[in-house]
Amino acid sequence: MTQFRPGRDVYVVGVGLHAFGRFPDQTLSDLARDAVVDALRDSEIPWTAIPVAYFGHVYYQGMSVGETTLAQLGLTGVPIINVENACSSGSTAFWQAYWGITSGVFDLALAFGAEKVPGGPVTVTAENSPARYIGGDHMMAGYALRMTRYMEETGAPPSALAQVSVKARRNASMNPYAHRKDTYSVEDVLNSRLIADPLTLYQCCPTSEGGAAAVLCAGEALDVYGVDRSRAIRIAAAALTSGNYNGRGSDHSAFSPYRTEPAALQAYEMAGIGPEDVDIVQVHDAATIGELQQIEALQLFPYGESWQATVEGRTALSGDMPVNTDGGLLAMGHPFGASGIRMVHETVTQLRGEAGPRQVENPRVGVAQCSGAGDVTTVHILTR
Amino acid sequence: MRCTDCGIVVFGPATFCQSCSSAGLEQIDLARDGVLYSYTIVRVPPPGWPGPVPYVLGEVELPEGPHVLAEVIECAHDSLEVGIPVTLALQPVSMPDVPDSERMVYKWRPAT
Repeated sequence: MTQFRPGRDVYVVGVGLHAFGRFPDQTLSDLARDAVVDALRDSEIPWTAIPVAYFGHVYYQGMSVGETTLAQLGLTGVPIINVENACSSGSTAFWQAYWGITSGVFDLALAFGAEKVPGGPVTVTAENSPARYIGGDHMMAGYALRMTRYMEETGAPPSALAQVSVKARRNASMNPYAHRKDTYSVEDVLNSRLIADPLTLYQCCPTSEGGAAAVLCAGEALDVYGVDRSRAIRIAAAALTSGNYNGRGSDHSAFSPYRTEPAALQAYEMAGIGPEDVDIVQVHDAATIGELQQIEALQLFPYGESWQATVEGRTALSGDMPVNTDGGLLAMGHPFGASGIRMVHETVTQLRGEAGPRQVENPRVGVAQCSGAGDVTTVHILTR
Repeated sequence: MRCTDCGIVVFGPATFCQSCSSAGLEQIDLARDGVLYSYTIVRVPPPGWPGPVPYVLGEVELPEGPHVLAEVIECAHDSLEVGIPVTLALQPVSMPDVPDSERMVYKWRPAT
């Protein structure tokens, strides 16, 4: 079902990050501001030219943090929208920025996100909700349920799942922004303590702090703002979906990959490409099983075969379908509001050929997929 | 609840059908027995978890279709397997240090 009518071409013309990790001396606004300044510098477009901004974050750190953050850059009076869409908050802010431009309302837009995620298991419901009584409000337990079932259905061995983390750590060891830069062996991953069987600690993404930002510009306004066209990356598709009954029925497991398929199909249709055209992909790997199921839901591998592809090295930087080239959530860490835009940052960096030691050879099409509680999925396709 | 228009069954209260958005939902009695679709042993519990640690969380498929997530009690960890039959168990649960928080909570136990 086509639910979109894209208008003008839109490009990402600047990306920025605040490193991911733990920063007890920095506020949410500090993390967000540094990422925005980085992205504006990268775009060579001044803050005073930006007509609208969207800020993704989840945990309460006071009201209107988007406004108080950007006030530090100058009170320009532009609309600033605070976006909460669970782990997809950042990618939802990016989606809104895209639609603000393609629709013709704005020529430029800023999307940014930041988070200071508390330590410990992540829950999504209100206190005293039925899910708290049932014991089901536990993000990693949800992933563990998917993992048990996936291993049962596909025969994937524990070592194949662990290999996802090993790859993530290897990629992140080449990324100065990553929360976790030390590398692991398959044995290290499997021998780390159990969180929710069969998920071990090193197969779960760290809860993190960090910031990310992107500056978007209409294709027909690139010259107006003096944008270097050789570094501008086109947004070929921007899809955002919520739960789609899709013949699957109620599925209590968090982040079911069934929820990704509709967004993926919408994005491929919008971009006029298919999975066979994709060169690199960033997916929501909050746990190892997440990466395997998301790349299958994106139809990059047939169902039940992504674990073998991982073991064979096909998803490594040197493989035919590099996945989570910057370390993904597993090693970059997961500041909810920032993660979706961090995926855009990595995709843009790779497509520009500026990823340094982790650069994939000559990618032209990149996909960024982000999931969130409440059956949120975003899929963005970027091309050069 | 069952949709009188499209026939799908959902677990828990609903006002409109998840599949066809019809308001024609009727309450039905679901089976008290199902099969374990998936499970995990939770070693690090969520904040405020009122039960024992570790605990077993099971996703159970009912014959009518819905999947129901709940704690699996009275089970040996090494007896857990995808596909084993389970049956409904009801237990009162209170949140620690929260007055008047007792609720009757549905759980699963292995069928004997």
